[in-house]
Amino acid sequence: MFNRSFSISRLPGFTTIAILVFVMLYLPIAMLVVFSFNSGTSVAIWEGFTLEWYPRAWANEQVKDATIRSLIIASTASVIATIVATMAALATTRRKQTRGQTFVYILINQPLMVPEIVTAVALLIFFASIKVATGYQGLGYLITAHAAFCIPFAYLPIRARLEGMDLTLETAAADLYATPWQTFRYVTLPLVMPGAIAGLMLAFVTSLDDVVITLFVKSAGQDTLPTYMLAQIRRAVTTEVNAISTLLLGLTVIMLTAFFLLTRKRN
Amino acid sequence: MSTDSDRLERQRNRNGWLLSTPALVLLAFGATGPLLIMFVYSFLEPGKYGNVIWEFSTKAWFNVFVQRDIFDGTLSPADAHLTILWRSVKLSLMTTIFTFIVGFPTAWFIATRPPRMRTLLLFLITIPFWTNLLIRTFAINQIIRNEGLLNTLLLKLGIINEPLLIIYSDFAVFIGMTYVYLPLMVLPLFASIDRFDMRLVEAGYDLYASRWQVLKRVIVPIVKPGIISGSILVFIPSLGAYVTPRILGGGRNMMIGNFIELQFGQGRNWPLGAALSVILLLIVAVALVVYVRFANRGDSNV
Amino acid sequence: MSAQDGVEARNARKVYGTGQEKVVALDNVSIVIKRGEFFTLLGPSGCGKTTLLRLIAGFETPTSGTILLDGTDITYDPPNKRPVNTVFQSYALFPHLTVAQNIGFGLEMRGHAKAEVDSTVEEMLALVRMESMADRKPTQLSGGQQQRVALARALAPQPKVLLLDEPLSALDLKLRKEMQSELKRLQLETGITFIFVTHDQEEALTMSDRIGVMKSGSLLQVGSPREIYTRPADRFVASFIGETNFLTGVLGKDAITLDAGGTLPLGASTQAKSGSKVTASIRPEQIRVIETDAPGSLPATVTESVYFGTDSHCHFALADGTEVVVRLQSPASGDVGLSRGQNVFLRFEPGALMVLEDQA
Ligand SMILES: Nc1ncnc2c1ncn2[C@@H]1O[C@H](COP(=O)(O)OP(=O)(O)OP(=O)(O)O)[C@@H](O)[C@H]1O
Ligand SMILES: [Mg+2]
Repeated sequence: MFNRSFSISRLPGFTTIAILVFVMLYLPIAMLVVFSFNSGTSVAIWEGFTLEWYPRAWANEQVKDATIRSLIIASTASVIATIVATMAALATTRRKQTRGQTFVYILINQPLMVPEIVTAVALLIFFASIKVATGYQGLGYLITAHAAFCIPFAYLPIRARLEGMDLTLETAAADLYATPWQTFRYVTLPLVMPGAIAGLMLAFVTSLDDVVITLFVKSAGQDTLPTYMLAQIRRAVTTEVNAISTLLLGLTVIMLTAFFLLTRKRN
Repeated sequence: MSTDSDRLERQRNRNGWLLSTPALVLLAFGATGPLLIMFVYSFLEPGKYGNVIWEFSTKAWFNVFVQRDIFDGTLSPADAHLTILWRSVKLSLMTTIFTFIVGFPTAWFIATRPPRMRTLLLFLITIPFWTNLLIRTFAINQIIRNEGLLNTLLLKLGIINEPLLIIYSDFAVFIGMTYVYLPLMVLPLFASIDRFDMRLVEAGYDLYASRWQVLKRVIVPIVKPGIISGSILVFIPSLGAYVTPRILGGGRNMMIGNFIELQFGQGRNWPLGAALSVILLLIVAVALVVYVRFANRGDSNV
Repeated sequence: MSAQDGVEARNARKVYGTGQEKVVALDNVSIVIKRGEFFTLLGPSGCGKTTLLRLIAGFETPTSGTILLDGTDITYDPPNKRPVNTVFQSYALFPHLTVAQNIGFGLEMRGHAKAEVDSTVEEMLALVRMESMADRKPTQLSGGQQQRVALARALAPQPKVLLLDEPLSALDLKLRKEMQSELKRLQLETGITFIFVTHDQEEALTMSDRIGVMKSGSLLQVGSPREIYTRPADRFVASFIGETNFLTGVLGKDAITLDAGGTLPLGASTQAKSGSKVTASIRPEQIRVIETDAPGSLPATVTESVYFGTDSHCHFALADGTEVVVRLQSPASGDVGLSRGQNVFLRFEPGALMVLEDQA
């Protein structure tokens, strides 16, 4: 008799659908990467392998500017977001839940709940009047906006880390004559650090990827890499965009792998 | 003694607020505060070249739903706005449902793998989640555009004679949104399936349920909280989608996000844009309330 | 009743994992469980009891071998096609359904009419005395109540065989005793074959028609509680079911010459050759303590006396140092009157000494 073994956890068609989903999820991205090495400009017909699009993209002044601007904004905003998120996380965890804390918690997570386009429009309105009033046109607006929407991404891993932490460690330090500052510096901070680094990376990736809010907040000539790419995609598809995308993709994968390893070690 | 501990408690609270202040200030300037200003703007007169004139007016709100004919001044429903609103809701619902249909088997598959395989698959789902939305939409664009991979392949194989006109349609937007928001459905579904007790499935089969009955009568009711979370997580960003409809829908197949942008660009009607944004926010709020209701009811079951 | 009526496993073997992680959970187990029998599987943790139940329920298929029900091969039948129901160790009640819906689930899935389902549910609720809880959710029930619902749910579709995997292990002692008699009553009333898994040897002895003792994936002995207790097949069974003393010696004709001195008669004949070295066992309650020497008794020294409430366990050392435990009923004072170092004699009840067949 041939084996018709019955598996409890298998449901008909589920495996097929799941495999198809994984294929469909990665096929378009894989094609994007593959065609960034295409010597022709088509995104469908392979004409031979080349690396030329990468140096060519970098030679483009606009790309170079946008990249540098993106990196400046992402690093400044993510550092600010992580610092303020760490402070807020210290204030909102490991103690009795009060109304005030719930309020803080909701405010911090607000950027996750409001559609990006709405925040973008609201910021456009708000910053427009400030721009008129002060005449300042610099990157400050973008950095403020990015730092704000990065806060929840930085906050969540830090909070998770703090919640898993042993409260008695701090009490023990205080018992050993450490001042509150010393306790923070030598006990709390080192323990929070992995969470803060994880938060920093998530915030960095989030900021680097943002399109919508940047598009509405930026002043003329303040393109970041994503807004530059959006404009290019609209005009004509260029293999140059494939090359930039591939690089961004690589950066994301590296950051995420690091993030996974960092948070995994904890368990 | 008690006054001492009270004082300590009060001081901790004060320190708590002090520590939270920088985050709150930043959020007040960079997120929450501007929403309130936007609400105010929806009650002002549009300026001729954009921006607003500081004069109270309910015209924007009126215009969201009703339009006045330019020639005879008669009132009629603002079809254009309602069409766009309806398209946004329809596409978002379709996206939510379809991501569920394919996301559920995927989450189930991941949750039933051995531990190491499971971590890997979960990681594979997470990468697209954190990958630039623009890049992912762009990747889809390259597949379905007229001279894209799909059409080139089908033409070469002789299956079709003319390229399929997929891009710049509602269908393209639907494909794109399903693609970009799928991880948001799979992750919460996975979380609740992972907590699910497989012995309940065994109990179901033991009591003569077929596979379909086990799915419908045992699994789905129990993982409902995950289904609701996933649906909310997909529905909200779909409704506010801007990048995906812009790249895949073209100028004609706008969603509400694109229409709002238009009011701040060529439309030069900031109050209308602000009013539409408030409406979008309201729909999201309703969705969230429904979510909280459902999620709580789910809790009392389990 | 034909010979094949009931559940049968033929050379059932189950191997989990591969390579280094390979575990042989069941090693060619063959057994026949008769219709209407209360059969208990007993054995230490990890010996394969649950695995055998899962093969019978259909949650797993054997690596090799067959499972038969009333003579028909059901090895590859899915669980929803087998007239076999399970009472899970963790109960596995559906958390989203009420007690009544849980109990009616099986009948509903089999497509019975609503009225019929309802009346059977009523009946089952009465059977397990849970009428007043019909509309509660499982989380609102105590452990014992959940256990009853699980039982009612498994009985409602009137299966041919009911599998119970340590159903009482989560209950406290008092409730456990109550449920034991309840289970026995239900089994007699319904006439359904019960295959019951437990760790608890006392539970096994009091409830079962027959017991199967398992160890590391194999069945060591199958028999009635009396057979298992009085004629254990080997050292493992003897020590797993109740306490026992092991004595070594040389086999003579219907008697054994102990290494500790003395020659004692045997209770039953043995296959072991006369003149070979053997191990014999005797239960602690089958030994008497006497003050003076008598035929068939051995000198011993008291080493320890432990009070257990209704009885006390006294430890003795024989002449060669072999330790022997004797169970004595505690007198009213609680003191059995034996002090450490005291020299006494132990008289073995005639015929109580058994030679173990495995002499490994
Ligand atoms: N799904 C599985 N994968 C791998 N090994 C398993 C699996 N299920 C059981 N085993 C192994 O098979 C052996 C027998 O397990 P089984 O659950 O049948 O024991 P048991 O007698 O029921 O024990 P317990 O009294 O602790 O419930 C054990 O060594 C166990 O580790
Ligand atoms: Mg077991």
